[in-house]
Formats: sequence, structure tokens, C-alpha cells
Amino acid sequence: MANGTILAGFLAPHPPHLVYGENPDRNEPRSTGGWELLRWAYEKCREKIKAWKPDVILVHSPHWMTIVGHHFLRVPHLKGLSVDPIFPHIFRYNYEMNVDVELADACYEEARQTGLVAKKMTNPNFRVDYGTIVSLHMLNPDWDIPILGISANNSPYFYSTEIGQEQMVKLGQATVRAIAKTGRRAVLAASNTLSHLHYDREPELIEDMNKEVIFNNSQYQWDMRVLELMRKGNTEQLMTILPEFMEKTAAEVKSGGLTWMLSAMGFPHIPAQVHGYWTVIGTGNAVVEWDLTQGTV
Amino acid sequence: MPNGTIQRAYLVPGLPHLTANVPVESWETLRRGCRQAGDHVKAAKPDVIVVYSTQWISVLGHSFQTNPNPKGLHVDENWYEYGDLPFDLRVDAALGTRAAAIASSLGLATKTVNYHGFPLDTGTLVALRFLNPDNTIPVAVVSCNIYAGQEDSLTLGRAMRQAIEESDKRAVVVACTGLSGRFFTEEVDPRTDRFAHAEDDTWNRRILDLIAQGKNAAVLTLSAEYAQAAATDMGFKAFAWLMGTLGTPTTPGTVLAYGPVWGTGAAVVEYSVKRHA
Ligand SMILES: [Fe+2]
Repeated sequence: MANGTILAGFLAPHPPHLVYGENPDRNEPRSTGGWELLRWAYEKCREKIKAWKPDVILVHSPHWMTIVGHHFLRVPHLKGLSVDPIFPHIFRYNYEMNVDVELADACYEEARQTGLVAKKMTNPNFRVDYGTIVSLHMLNPDWDIPILGISANNSPYFYSTEIGQEQMVKLGQATVRAIAKTGRRAVLAASNTLSHLHYDREPELIEDMNKEVIFNNSQYQWDMRVLELMRKGNTEQLMTILPEFMEKTAAEVKSGGLTWMLSAMGFPHIPAQVHGYWTVIGTGNAVVEWDLTQGTV
Repeated sequence: MPNGTIQRAYLVPGLPHLTANVPVESWETLRRGCRQAGDHVKAAKPDVIVVYSTQWISVLGHSFQTNPNPKGLHVDENWYEYGDLPFDLRVDAALGTRAAAIASSLGLATKTVNYHGFPLDTGTLVALRFLNPDNTIPVAVVSCNIYAGQEDSLTLGRAMRQAIEESDKRAVVVACTGLSGRFFTEEVDPRTDRFAHAEDDTWNRRILDLIAQGKNAAVLTLSAEYAQAAATDMGFKAFAWLMGTLGTPTTPGTVLAYGPVWGTGAAVVEYSVKRHA
């Protein structure tokens, strides 16, 4: 009997600025750096992932927004040029990834069984969204671990936060069952920014850190309140205040990734590690890790 | 003295269902309307087709496509099974650049985009497949800023009108948008396609009736209420953009087709304006 397990979950924000600041070969534009505190935070995650050698990284991305149900990438190999529609001047990335299609099938089946509408994306010409790509690059720039991309169903926006979050809880439960059944050692990534109010004009030098500040102090305080609960492992309280956080800060976690991930991990009470926090054009971004291998090794 | 004109203006839907090879009555009706619009565009022999698409979403102000020759293959992120949309467009970069400069001088944040591999949106490509099937007419494409309200959308349209006027060109302007925006959120048999809510249909018809009477200003006034009641596609601000380009005339719009697409409302509307822009 297969007995897969989730090694860890990461809150893995996806501003393309982080890839831009790093200047990898895969990204065409060049920068003079920037957003180091977030990039260094990701470096800590990279080390741990390298050491764990997981079978798969699953990522839930708000920039693949789907109307009819929850979709899973189901093409074995995806390759292409991803130009960010919002930030094309800083993100033109050549991606190439292997998809864990067996796990995609299992997630699909489990999601259907739990009553969710689910779909498998089987078009080989599909362009992978930049949220998925940025989070995956920041966690594993070598791309040597198969991945599974999951869409963000738009139910939190289309219906209500409540209905949306309920669906994400179910999706998380379906995901962990699929991981168990397929025997995968998996890492999860919720590709989300925290507070999401942002400036609509950019500085001339995009990576001018002199211009990089939180949109307002209330956003900052909300981000800290949420991060503090994560650090304390107070997941119940975190789940309780999430809807208000979403409403007050237009938080991107509304799209469901964080709830999906926490649900898949069984809403753990272990203290999460906040590796770094900084703003990107005024939004609040944190790289956070829930290491489920603690105490089990 | 510059003498650019807008020959015709259109509201068209941009969902990929219209290019899918699936025989659904209402989709067929809409396809016929789009083809008819395409015939009229061809007959008008415009120098440029200007498209504003609600599916090209921008957040840092308003974007204008200025790559002279965007080429590639687009796959819709929701309905990827309805086929690929290859494209190879001729873009009137000068018009886009000028419209962006004018919009900026009117206080709007603007950006021109000229990048190989930039993702074009489904709406633009679906609209152009009908309105410019031979790809013989240059196009200009404008994004839908999610934060823009009606006033900014009108201003954005006015900027395009001025750019057309200065260009001395004959233009067709197209607002690619849905009407009521409530999709079915589960798998449905397309042959049973209908409006997700009966009230959405009522609202759409009310708006189309006003358009058919040339009461375009009244439609603008009602837009916020319409958006609230029928969850319209991006607040129906594509219509405001279109009215910005036309100066909110009392010209009646001809409804060439109307029907549901996956629960939402869609219509093909034509304005034969032929006014000096
Ligand atoms: Fe985002």
C-alpha cells in the first residue's frame, strides 16, 4: 500500500520581481538586484528542498484562474516562454517542467469524489501562468523535481469568501489523499502574496529599493498579525481571521492557495518559520515554511 | 487639418466558444452576427481596427500593444479544449503609441507593450478571427484596466478618438466584451446553454433596447446598476470606452445577434457612425 506524505508547505509569493532581481539565465531582462530579503528567504527553502529530494512540488496559483472547477496540469512535459502580462519588462522566462501526471490523475479523482468539479488540462500548447513559474523557480531553480500545477477556482470571487474557502478545504483533503495513495513525498506551495494593495506606477529604475515601501501601515499591521499567528502555530485563530484579512487588505490568499495548503497539511499546530518579509510595489510578501518532518525524523 | 474618421463601431463577444467547432444554437447565432459584422468591416475598407478587450487585463494603468507583428499560439486558460488560437497580427504601433501619449496627457497611467512572446488575450483573438479573418487590416489593441471606472474608460476612449483623428486614418473601433457575466461553474452540456439567471437576460435586453434607440447616454447612466444586478463583464466599461471613442452619440446601435454563452450574455452590436472622429 502506497503511503505518501507531505514533507512541508511553503507560502511562496510570486512577484516576478524576485526572479528579475536574481538574474537567472532563463529570464531575459537584466537587473541590478533588489528584494534581497525575500530572495535570501527563498534560498533557505531551496537548501531544505534539495536535502529532502521530494518526488514532487505541488503549486496552487491565483494566476491560473478557472471558472469551471479546479484544474490540474496533466501534460507530462511543458515548455515555453512566459511573458508576464502585467510586468513584461521584467519577466520573460523560458520554462521547462516535468509534470507528475499520475498524481494529477489521482488528485482529479479524489477531488471529484469529494464533490468538487475538477478538470485535467491536457492541451500541450498551454502556456503555464507566471504565478506557478515564479514560485517554482524560487523554490527550485534547477527544475529537477516534477511538479503539479493546480488552478485557482474563482469561487471566492464569484460566490463568496466562505464558499471559496470551503472548496479549498475540500481540495486540500483531496490532495493529501492523492499524495498518500500515490506514495509521493511531496512539498506544497501556496503561491500567494499577503496584503495586496499596490502602487500603480513604477519607479524609473524598477529595482529602486528607495521606492519600495508598504502601501500603508494598516496593511503592514495586518500582515504582521497574520505572520505572528503562523509563527505561533495558532492555526485556528489564523483561519478565523483570514476572511477579515482578505477583506481589509485585498489579500491574495483569498484565491485559496493558503487554505488549500493548510487543509492538506491537516491545519498543523507547529510553529511556521517566517524566512523573510518585504514589499513588492507596495504589497506584503512573506516566505513561510511549515516543516512537517520536524519530530518525525 | 487632420481628418481621421471612425467608420463603424462594434460590441462583440470574445469567448472561445465562438471559435469552437461545437454546434450550439445560440453560439451559432452569435457566430452569424460576428461574420456579418466582419463582412461590414471588410466593406468599410478601414485602415485600422482598434480593439479594447475586457480579457486583456492590466493593473498598472492602461496598456497599448505596440509590437508591429505579434506572432504565436494562444490557448485559453479555461477552455483549452476548444482549440488553439494561432496569431500573426499586423499592429499599427504608431496609433497605439500616440493614443497612449494622449491618454497619459489626460492623466491616465499608460504603458506600451512591445515584447516578443507577450500573451495576447482570447477576446482580442476571437474578435479578430471574425472581424479580420484574412488578417489584411492592421489592428491596435488596448487593455482593460481592472481599476478603471467609467470616467477613466471614457477618457481612454477619447484619447483613442483623438489619436485616430490625428492619424488621418479610417478606423473601426471594437469593444470586445460580454454582457451579463454569470457563468455556469459546473460542466454543462453546451446544447442546453441558457442564461444563468433569467433576470440577467431581462437586464441585457433592457440595455440592448436602449442601445437600439440610440439612448447610449442612458446606458452609461445605468451601467453601475446593470453591473450590480447582472455581474456584467468588467462592469461593462468596454461600452464606456466605446462611447469615449464616439463621443456618446445618439446613433442607434443595431443588434446583429444576442444569446447566452455558458450562462453569460453576449451580443453583436453595430454602430454605423461614419462621423468625423
Ligand atoms: Fe499575484
